[in-house]
Amino acid sequence: MRKVVALLLAGGVGSRLNVLVQYRAKPAVPFGGIYRIIDFTLSNIANCGLTRVAVLTQYKPLSLMDHIGDGSAWDLAGRTRGITILPPKTGEKDWDWYKGTADAVRQNLGFVSSGPYTEVLILSGDHIYCMDYGPLVQFHRANRALVTIGMIPVPWEETRHFGTGTMDGEKRIVDWEEKSKKARSNLASMGIYVFDRDYLVATLGETKEEDFGSQIIPRALKGVKVYGFPFEGYWRDAGTIDAYWDASMDLLRPGSGLTPEACGIRTNLSAHQLPYDRPPASITGSAHVANSAISPGCVVSGGAENSILSPGVVIERGAFVRDSIIMHDSLVGRGSRIERCIIDKEVTIREDSLIGQGDPKTPNSRFPDHVYSGLTLIGKRAVIPPHAKIGTNCIVYPDVSESDFPSNDLNDGQTVEK
Amino acid sequence: MKNVLAMILAGGRVDELDVLTFLRPKSVLPFGGLYRIIDFPMSNLMNSGIERVGILSQYRPFYLINHVANGQPWDMVGRNRFAVILPPFKGREASDWYKGTADAVYQNIDFIRMYNPDLVLILSGDHIYKMDYQDVISFHLEKKADLTIAFTPMPQEGSHRFGQGLMEGQDARGGRLVQYAEKPKKRLFDWASLTIYVFNATVLLEALGENAGEDSHEFGKDIIPSLLGNSRIYGYKHCGYWGYTRTLEEYWKTSMDLLGEQARIDLRSWQIRTNLAHKEIRDRQPTIIGPSSVVKDSLLYTGCHIMGRVSRSLLFPGVTVEEGAAVEDSILFFDTKVARGARVRRTITDIDVVIGQSATVGDSEGELSVIGTGSSLPEEVVVHSGVTIYPNVPTDRFTRTEYKTGDVIK
Repeated sequence: MRKVVALLLAGGVGSRLNVLVQYRAKPAVPFGGIYRIIDFTLSNIANCGLTRVAVLTQYKPLSLMDHIGDGSAWDLAGRTRGITILPPKTGEKDWDWYKGTADAVRQNLGFVSSGPYTEVLILSGDHIYCMDYGPLVQFHRANRALVTIGMIPVPWEETRHFGTGTMDGEKRIVDWEEKSKKARSNLASMGIYVFDRDYLVATLGETKEEDFGSQIIPRALKGVKVYGFPFEGYWRDAGTIDAYWDASMDLLRPGSGLTPEACGIRTNLSAHQLPYDRPPASITGSAHVANSAISPGCVVSGGAENSILSPGVVIERGAFVRDSIIMHDSLVGRGSRIERCIIDKEVTIREDSLIGQGDPKTPNSRFPDHVYSGLTLIGKRAVIPPHAKIGTNCIVYPDVSESDFPSNDLNDGQTVEK
Repeated sequence: MKNVLAMILAGGRVDELDVLTFLRPKSVLPFGGLYRIIDFPMSNLMNSGIERVGILSQYRPFYLINHVANGQPWDMVGRNRFAVILPPFKGREASDWYKGTADAVYQNIDFIRMYNPDLVLILSGDHIYKMDYQDVISFHLEKKADLTIAFTPMPQEGSHRFGQGLMEGQDARGGRLVQYAEKPKKRLFDWASLTIYVFNATVLLEALGENAGEDSHEFGKDIIPSLLGNSRIYGYKHCGYWGYTRTLEEYWKTSMDLLGEQARIDLRSWQIRTNLAHKEIRDRQPTIIGPSSVVKDSLLYTGCHIMGRVSRSLLFPGVTVEEGAAVEDSILFFDTKVARGARVRRTITDIDVVIGQSATVGDSEGELSVIGTGSSLPEEVVVHSGVTIYPNVPTDRFTRTEYKTGDVIK
């Protein structure tokens, strides 16, 4: 694996995650209590022995850079190993923003060419999965392929979000579509590509095309052998609110296949937010906790069912949380009742609020494509006034304060902005 | 700001803690669901801004070296900051093991001289408390003392185990120490020494030099009495929480002070830090509490899987409590597994202990039971209160179906 250089594309906005990406890039979105989404890819990289990694950032990179640090959390710091952050930089023009995945790689071909690498592994920082890239690289080499794509079956109704392909008996990709409304195959690209280094450098030099999925891959299919590596394991794209919620809940479903500790997923213990630098969680005498994930520093005196609590979450006496994800240091006040909510960090829900109950058939009026399945989103540091009634498919923006609420009642599908 | 050097006496093994200190020094005994006992003085030092620390260790120092690392967990790495372990060494005159607390410091006199401090703060590594040492230091400086000793109100029981002091004067913070007795048989005075000493460095070095020729080398027994009368010794009254951990019962009681909504030990405000790089801590996922489990009045860290019932207990990372199992009033160290249907009461289990299916350990009253590292109890065995199980006892060593108070299984 020392001949393979990994490029982790972590620049995407992930706008479908709505308020969760207001302050951070999608790979930095907290996941599963103590992790961030990018921890899965970074841990996979470390666990399979890759030692040269670059993370290409662009959108709101602060949380991400702070989280990655020097890479030592994933044992990627040392004399023969390293992780490099590659932000967009001044090029021929004053400031060359990355215009797409392939463009981002093109602007960093210098990094790719800087070592005696034979392959370039291109990964995205957006997925929840455990994978050993070793067999993928071996497969690529055994087939003498110039391009190999990680492929996984997805439900037919989700194919429109992915690049999909058909493979022949030798695992060669013979048909390819990008985000087609009526896909011919449900075998989806995982956004994981192995490229022959020289082929990649030459191809990106020949064309100005900016995207791998829609341009570089179809171009390769016309000219050279492209193989598909079928992956059979847990893999989820957490790119929509629904998918994010569902993948999170897999942590609580026995047999879901999501077992971060067992497959060696690690997070950065000493990053700014210090997810671990807290006392043990305290479950007090009045608490009722069932089927939930609890992180250090939580204080639970109320109820929690089917929920994921990040470090420092406080659930006061008489409060009740069900089917929800609550991030770092948020507080659910006395007597409040929360159902099917995703609550970002440092949110204060004052006493006796009722949030998330309503008719899921009314999608959010502002973002009907983002929030439509009966989940309510509450942005970072928002404060919910006492006795508030907030329906389902609602969005409360980050930093909203009590005075921003037009009234104590927020109907299904409504949005409150700062 | 005076130049302060801290020395922590962390070497000892404590017999009363039995199997828990068979394989580790007392100072790295797990405590509070996550921490080691030495984290308390280390965090107090960090929070007091004293960042130059020597740690004296002699019993199985590997665990301590591994835990303290280079002091990084307490931010004691830098040009003028350090935490170093000072093990005994063989000197010119065939020097050997530390022969007492004062001897341990005396053997490291070069270390003290090297940093040339104004004050030496001497602590022990085996108490649970929060203290801003700067308060004692300013008291010491204000009183122009040669030595200041911290005291706490004498506990109800066990006064014979403490150094006892009598202070004079009206200052609520403390006063001149007029009498002192080291571990007298009877209760003589109302204040117990916390074995926290602030020494003027010159006074300390001189006293240690004089004591070196004697037969006994203890701060409480030898150094303090020798200074009393001809030096300015002050007593500082510590009125906050003070937790002992010298016996199993004390360790258990102090641990239980962590529980409840108004816990006496408030970890949140105490800001205790530990070394998170231990393999038993890092890389765990959040704790999972199952659909039919009941957890009440307990503390738990990451990596636990709780499918059964847990009440009034402390669970360290990686503890598994299977369905139908019940844990009450107990302390389960890292990776303890309580199998289906088992019942654990008033018991302390060390790392990697397995309680077999439907086994019973401990009773709701009586002495605590304790199980050493890596031991496995067979299915359905009944172990009553006050039973001691040594480390690494395999299931086939349990030849009886029932064990009673006082039994020791090796």
